Amino acid sequence: MIDRTLEKIEEKRKNRLSWILAAPVLLWLVILFLIPYLIVIIYSFLTPTIYDIQFAFSLESFKRLVDPIYLRSFYISFRLAVVTTIACIFLGYPVAYYIARKTEKVKNILLLLIIIPFWTNFIIRIFAWRIFISANGLLNELLMFAGIIDDPLRILRTDLAVTMVMIYVYLPYMILPLYANIEKIDFTLIEAAMDLGANRLKSFLKVTLPLSKEGIFAGSILVFIPALGAYIIPQLVGNQDYLYVGQIIAYKIKSIPRNWPLASALSLGLLVLVIVMLILLYWFYKRVIKKENKLFFNEK
Amino acid sequence: MEKLILKNITKYFGGFRAVNNVSMEIEPGELYSFLGPSGCGKTTLLRMIAGFETPSSGKIFLGKNEITSLPPYKRQVNTIFQNYSLFPHKTVSENVAFGLQIKKIPKVEIQEQVMEMLKLVKMESEKNKYPSMISGGQKQRVAIARALINKPQLLLLDEPLAALDLKLRQHMLIELMNIHDMVGITFIYVTHDQGEAISISDRVAVMNEGEVVQEGPPEEIYEKPNSIFSAYFIGDTNLITGEVLDVKDEYVELKCKGSDNFYFEIDSAYHFIPNVGDKVTVSLRPEKIAISRNEPKRKDYFNIVPGIVEDILYLGTHTQYIVKVGDLKFRVFSQHKKVYVDEKELDWEEEVFLFWHDTDSYLINEVREEMLPVKNHEIPL
Ligand SMILES: Nc1ncnc2c1ncn2[C@@H]1O[C@H](COP(=O)(O)OP(=O)(O)OP(=O)(O)O)[C@@H](O)[C@H]1O
Ligand SMILES: [Mg+2]
Repeated sequence: MIDRTLEKIEEKRKNRLSWILAAPVLLWLVILFLIPYLIVIIYSFLTPTIYDIQFAFSLESFKRLVDPIYLRSFYISFRLAVVTTIACIFLGYPVAYYIARKTEKVKNILLLLIIIPFWTNFIIRIFAWRIFISANGLLNELLMFAGIIDDPLRILRTDLAVTMVMIYVYLPYMILPLYANIEKIDFTLIEAAMDLGANRLKSFLKVTLPLSKEGIFAGSILVFIPALGAYIIPQLVGNQDYLYVGQIIAYKIKSIPRNWPLASALSLGLLVLVIVMLILLYWFYKRVIKKENKLFFNEK
Repeated sequence: MEKLILKNITKYFGGFRAVNNVSMEIEPGELYSFLGPSGCGKTTLLRMIAGFETPSSGKIFLGKNEITSLPPYKRQVNTIFQNYSLFPHKTVSENVAFGLQIKKIPKVEIQEQVMEMLKLVKMESEKNKYPSMISGGQKQRVAIARALINKPQLLLLDEPLAALDLKLRQHMLIELMNIHDMVGITFIYVTHDQGEAISISDRVAVMNEGEVVQEGPPEEIYEKPNSIFSAYFIGDTNLITGEVLDVKDEYVELKCKGSDNFYFEIDSAYHFIPNVGDKVTVSLRPEKIAISRNEPKRKDYFNIVPGIVEDILYLGTHTQYIVKVGDLKFRVFSQHKKVYVDEKELDWEEEVFLFWHDTDSYLINEVREEMLPVKNHEIPL
């Protein structure tokens, strides 16, 4: 009885301490994240004017969201984010696994190699890609030199170009959390699985993969969310037949006639997509991966 | 069940030879131990039997089948890893079920067998817990259940008790022996703890620097060490180096530097017979030496030497005396048989007699120039 009370007091004290420690960050998040988001939500319910906004309630922006043009943009943005995320998982996992199993020294060198591109400005790297994949760029020259193609391929300003550059830019964001996760896995567990009769593939599927799901989850979030709002990459290397949501938002904010409420509604639309995706991912990890284990002894 | 045969197994890691020409035959149902100091190659040898390493040369057979380069998942061998290696994302029962799930056995059957195994290791009540929620001893049991459910020919245990505290270790040791009796399969038990090896095993292989130094039942290893290493590594012993003065009627007279001559009875059945002039070592266990301030009768004891008590250490079950005899130092254990001793306790610096039977020591055909350091005594509880 007394123990319980003491425990509670102790718990309260700990809680108070963690509040104090967390306060600055919480404040930061409220000022720079929550409040701006509230502003975006408020804007989305206002009436647009050519230059800015008029403080009059309107649902017009949300009605326009279901316009086929915007739905199509949502679809291609979503598709790009999904393709980028999945490609990053499949390309990043082997790399992260490979690095995680190296010795400490080699690990550091390899991680440095992954991080080095961050030292060059993002825009410069994309321009480098533009030159690399342009009609008379290095890639086409090489392909023609090798005799694989006769005429230069049109790569720049295609969806392929967008996808390639997106994967290139976001791959490190997948590799790093995956590496951090895989590195912590006790590799004798894989030996234990093989000892119990699982071949390499099975021990990977039943042990390594479930144990790295947090890494995949974290990496997917880090890649998916920014990929969904992709703006600069489609702008610089994408085709000009249609716009990604990020591009539309940018136009609606900066080019006259402006439409800030519509831009706000579009970004809320992206937020909804992110939330839907998170719920799907969460469901996937809880159900699909857990289910296989939970075949037994479910009674509580 | 099948016999495990190792033939001339050698393993190199780069230029380093971790296991050197090891051959052994382990009988079906035997509890066999690899005993040796840290780094002597026990784990490496075990990993080759399990299939995690391939020998640089030599062959491994299970019965008539050669398994030298078979992958671990194709061997009827299971391992208890030193840190248990339970799957953290699976519950106790899911861990135990793993091997059968891989074999795609019907669910109902798996459930039955898992319950049976959990009963064997007394873990039914914890079946839905995750490994992080159970104690070290319990993890150990789960690891055993998880291995045994596959009905292996061989169960390999790599220092299974090293992570447990002393009391639990003693308890689990008995439990392991019980489980071995119940399931009847071959156990290979790796340890650097001589007490564990001696108390649990049918046979022990003493290893040093990648080689098997001596192989045999625990009594034989303890009573008849074939080398200085065996004698020194297992239990406590006094190693006396000397030159053979005389070999007569199965008696050896040994001349030691700085002390009286000693006599040893030798039996050609299990001793090597030295020649006059040979340099040999005699291993004399501390508990076989009697100590008293009164000189015993010559006819009862062949070896009686006077000495001076240099150090006394009370250890509960017995007292350890360090006695200086000439230039030699003897370690002597004296059991406490009575609560009240009529005699006055021996004192520091007191003059005493050490005596032992001529059959209490064992002759080793090996000498070492430098003195081996006195081992830290393990205090028994
Ligand atoms: N993969 C490896 N690469 C290089 N050297 C190794 C490897 N595995 C083991 N060794 C070396 O081989 C020797 C024997 O190692 P092993 O693990 O078999 O010893 P052990 O008898 O099990 O020791 P311990 O009681 O400490 O577990 C050691 O010197 C070790 O450093
Ligand atoms: Mg070892």
